[in-house]
Amino acid sequence: MTSSPNDHDQIPPERVIELRLPSRLGYEKIAMDAATSLARRMGFHEDRVNALRTALAEAVTNAIEHGNAHDAAMRVLVMLTVRPDELIVSVADQGRNLLDPDKTTAVPSIEESFTKVDKGGWGIWLIRELVDEVEFSTGPGGGNQIRMVIHLEK
Amino acid sequence: MDTQSPSIDLTFPSELGYEKIARETVAAFARRFGFDRERIEDLKTALSEVCINAIEHGNACLPGLRILVHCECIADRLTIEVHDRGVRQYLGHGPSAQIEQKIIGSAPLRGMGLMLIAQLVDEVGFSSSPEGGNVCRFALDRQHLHSNGTRE
Repeated sequence: MTSSPNDHDQIPPERVIELRLPSRLGYEKIAMDAATSLARRMGFHEDRVNALRTALAEAVTNAIEHGNAHDAAMRVLVMLTVRPDELIVSVADQGRNLLDPDKTTAVPSIEESFTKVDKGGWGIWLIRELVDEVEFSTGPGGGNQIRMVIHLEK
Repeated sequence: MDTQSPSIDLTFPSELGYEKIARETVAAFARRFGFDRERIEDLKTALSEVCINAIEHGNACLPGLRILVHCECIADRLTIEVHDRGVRQYLGHGPSAQIEQKIIGSAPLRGMGLMLIAQLVDEVGFSSSPEGGNVCRFALDRQHLHSNGTRE
């Protein structure tokens, strides 16, 4: 096991759920269902829940495919932080491949996609379209980390 | 369907309600391994009971203490461990009170959880972790073995 219930001894100012997944495609669905359950409990509208599901699927898939290079022994850490007015979702990998910072801001072109063999490169753009805040950084283990925030509209 | 045996770990605060997140997460894990809807409902009910015990008793509802749920699936058997910090120790493995005793008031109304869990899963046991916490370990087979020896 990679974690223990001793990890957080102090009463947190915000509630955090941590999920550790193997780097295998398909496991992003487990993260999606966990986040969906939490977001519904927090009172997010269904369209926001669906946006979160898609953004999280893209982030976890990127971590599995690129950050951890499909190595099932490497873990993807998903952290769901509950605040009264927002949900923060962080996805961290173990950084076998580090993300090129230029790719975090690039806006893909649909015209170029028609002519390229590789149709990828839309994930980060899509995430930015779906959530309210996005930030890329280096995670605690030295890998890639993406932090996404969705605001709760009441 | 996933045929290998990777595991997932989930941790959450000791607050009632968070067991629902654990239920959905572990249900999604079980679906990956082809468990049918009925077994997944058994799993969700058993996991809820175990998590509520861990939140209320093991961690005494102290939100700063975490619950850890570890899941793995090997062959046809899904195994779940729920770890708490052992603020209150699990007291024993003696026989549970019978439903009749509860109805006539000679046993407390609460405490049905373990009885329920034992009916739903194929194996359940309690132990202490090296750090002094309680660990509830239970397993579900793809096909449930009934008390009369038949399988679904």
